[in-house]
Amino acid sequence: MMMLESIDELLSHIKDVQLDVIELSSESLMKMSAFMEKNGLEIDEDISTALQYQDIITQQLNATIEAIESMKQSIDMFSHAFKSDEGLAQQSIVKLQEKLQVTLKEAKEKKSRFSGKHSAEHADDEIEFF
Amino acid sequence: MPLVIFVDDSETALASTRMVTNSMPIEVKQYTEAQVALAEIKAGMTPDLIITDLNMPVMNGFEFLKELRAVPATKRTPTLMLTTETKPELKQQGKALGLTGWIVKPFNPAQLKQAISRVLRLPA
Repeated sequence: MMMLESIDELLSHIKDVQLDVIELSSESLMKMSAFMEKNGLEIDEDISTALQYQDIITQQLNATIEAIESMKQSIDMFSHAFKSDEGLAQQSIVKLQEKLQVTLKEAKEKKSRFSGKHSAEHADDEIEFF
Repeated sequence: MPLVIFVDDSETALASTRMVTNSMPIEVKQYTEAQVALAEIKAGMTPDLIITDLNMPVMNGFEFLKELRAVPATKRTPTLMLTTETKPELKQQGKALGLTGWIVKPFNPAQLKQAISRVLRLPA
């Protein structure tokens, strides 16, 4: 049980770090873009792409934060079951494993969804009109 | 000048589009929340083009699009989705809801300018 509490604390720490990274990366690029706008600098494709990567970084980190929250919830449910009846522990650990697998699958799917043209297979996509 | 509105919960994404469009002969309004843009449209704002993100909290791009199509003034307003999403089924869903086009982030500045000019029929 102590181990689960340590894992829970570690997950909370990772989540806090990720939230800080989101905030700092956004602040950093907003300062750069404010400087460029103030000085009337034209952006080329590379700079535009760099600015837009921040949006992708935020979405990717938010998706992993959702996965962390889901993991924490599953661990919490397991801990409660374990505390109330040790006989349920074996059943609960199977359920915990299943829930963690679902969380992992969803997180991987979001990684792919939120990559935009950053993933090589879409690198040459152009604007699509319907 | 034609009015183009951008809706994206990412401030940096809005800054990117602003720097691309500031040399174009268009008026630009930007919103970080779709529901705020919708309220202004319902209050009488009539954009000539709407460019919106898909994944946003509170009201996502598809929900926004459905609401736009229910307002007489924006029933047929050209609307482009600007998103990291690349799934064909999502594009189909957007098309079925009356979306004009789909732009995948990170966008190419020249292509975005061309797309806006094409939709608004601006002189080359």
